[in-house]
Amino acid sequence: MLAVVEGHPRPRVVAATGAARARGVAPGSSLAGALAVAPELQLRTRDPALEAATLAELAAWAGQFTPCVSLDPPHAIVLEVSASLRLFGGAEALARRIEAALPRLGLNAALAAAPTPLAASWFARACPGSVVRFAPGWARRLDPLPVALLAEGGAVSGATLELLHGIGVRRLADAARLPRDALARRQAGAVSDALARARGELPDPRPWFVPPERFASRLVLPACVATTEPLLFAARRLFSGLVAWLAARHAGLDRCRLHLEHDAHPETVLEIVTGQPGRDEARLTLLAREHLAALALPAPVDALRLTADAPARLTPASGDLFGDPAGARDGATLLLERLRARLGAGAGAVHTVHPSPDHRPERAWRNAAPGTRPAPGALGPGPRPLWLLHQPRALDSARSLTLLSGPERIESGWWDGADIRRDYYVARAASAGIWWVFEQLDPPGGWYVHGFFG
Amino acid sequence: MSAAALTALPPGLVWRADQLARPAAEGIPTGFAALDAELPGGGWPRGALIELFAEAPGIGELALLLPTLRAVPAERWIAWIAPPHLPYAPALAAAGVPLEQLLLLTPASHAELLWSIRQALASGACALVLAWLARADGAALRRLQLAAEDSATPLYLFRPIAAARQPSPASLRLRLTADGDALAVAILKRRGPALAAPLRLPLHRPPEPGRSPLPHHALVRPDPVRITAAGIHARGR
Repeated sequence: MLAVVEGHPRPRVVAATGAARARGVAPGSSLAGALAVAPELQLRTRDPALEAATLAELAAWAGQFTPCVSLDPPHAIVLEVSASLRLFGGAEALARRIEAALPRLGLNAALAAAPTPLAASWFARACPGSVVRFAPGWARRLDPLPVALLAEGGAVSGATLELLHGIGVRRLADAARLPRDALARRQAGAVSDALARARGELPDPRPWFVPPERFASRLVLPACVATTEPLLFAARRLFSGLVAWLAARHAGLDRCRLHLEHDAHPETVLEIVTGQPGRDEARLTLLAREHLAALALPAPVDALRLTADAPARLTPASGDLFGDPAGARDGATLLLERLRARLGAGAGAVHTVHPSPDHRPERAWRNAAPGTRPAPGALGPGPRPLWLLHQPRALDSARSLTLLSGPERIESGWWDGADIRRDYYVARAASAGIWWVFEQLDPPGGWYVHGFFG
Repeated sequence: MSAAALTALPPGLVWRADQLARPAAEGIPTGFAALDAELPGGGWPRGALIELFAEAPGIGELALLLPTLRAVPAERWIAWIAPPHLPYAPALAAAGVPLEQLLLLTPASHAELLWSIRQALASGACALVLAWLARADGAALRRLQLAAEDSATPLYLFRPIAAARQPSPASLRLRLTADGDALAVAILKRRGPALAAPLRLPLHRPPEPGRSPLPHHALVRPDPVRITAAGIHARGR
């Protein structure tokens, strides 16, 4: 149960959650009255800066539907979608799509479409869900709307609205019948101007919203979180915003950073690397899940921040009639990144092996990044086992071995201090396995097993 | 229902216990005709858990898989999860295994090992998954079998030979023992009748020396005096 309050010295409720409204906490009621009916009510002070930031985030997000977005403060954005209707299958389909995607941002909204921006915001206020298309006489659909809408966005002052109320004007149709010069004489010319803009009789230019060059988004958690599972849920909201911002720019990212802010501790930064530029929300969420699962939180988290570098331009994959040839490669990269995120990005946990040009068996291989092709080189001269022991294992007794071939003298490495002098044999062990064994020559004596012909 | 009516049923609807099952997808050829003939589908089953119990290291347990490893399609991984020793790159390269498709994983814990196997299977990005698992209970094995079935990726699980006696949901279980220079493969379980005697697969082992000329910058030479020795004890040590 939550309410947002504003005002000093006599704070008033400006918004309340459904549970609070059910208990009788109505917007407009005084704080004392609200606490009297719901003592356990949680309160937040209204933060206009946060509201503006949310509106800007929403506008950046809406850039995925049309490049022409403009802010209509304090609490609306206007999308010019006439060029996008065909792509999204019509205004109704587009509205459904926006409505379905909004909850991922943690927001809900009232949508309406109309031929002019002002009419659209009035319809969204008064009868959400309506779609008014341009047709002769469409402006008559404005007539039954309440006259209070004129005050939206500060177009008409409160005093003018009271004046209209005083003379019995309730609907926009009534206001439209008032003579223009009579209104102008009473400093109420804004009324006819607003009506003309809403009907498209006066131009109503809006500045387009320019999305930020760098993505940065912050989410304050409602309560401090000490476990990682709720963090993933919150991070998904940030990823939704990032993906929409990227979609608006036709761009992709191959890495982003998730900052976990602690109250009295330096923030924890998770570097999320996707392996190739993209804007796949599910993929980011998957990777974040692995990072968070492997993370031990040093302190409770009270806010999340997502930042990203300048994105790379991304050519979207074109639809293919015969399946998706790039899909297999994509899955291979995704698997690699998931494994790295969980097992560790170092060379030791996820790697491949390459031959290395050295005669010493310990140095005839090296770790390499998976997917890289080894340099073509001459193969070693003798038989080599498929398994090499990490350390040669001393044999108590060499009598149980049957030597099958050898010796192969390997004497090398005097220049780097790791010189060896050994005679290698292929031998059958008592266990019937075939082993790669050597006799130490320097210092002499001692038999070791160094590999298995698996 | 009489036997005649049974045989009249379309193939694939009824599996008779004295015949090999005929899976929907053909198997992946093992490279050994004798083994292919005894496996349902004519090869390694696609999307199944295959348990391998090797008697000892060095009997040819990897050589059995080399033909399969050589033939994996490009752009798909060959995952090796928690191998007990180091897969030796020069030998793998000489055997023709595509090293750029190798994905060696060394998980730190048993839980991470199982997680890695499931991820490798679920991604569908692996041509085959090899894993070495020291211990596993029935539930874990069942999950792995289901994961392999879902992904249509074969999972080769190398387990200690003592585990061969445990019941298992795997669709194919092989016990590998040495038989002279050959590898004896006993099929402990398959979708078909039990096999009376182990198969004897000839492996060309130890592998022939590499084909490249001897390098000049290191001492790598056969010793003509000692090559006559037949064993350690024959050398008077």
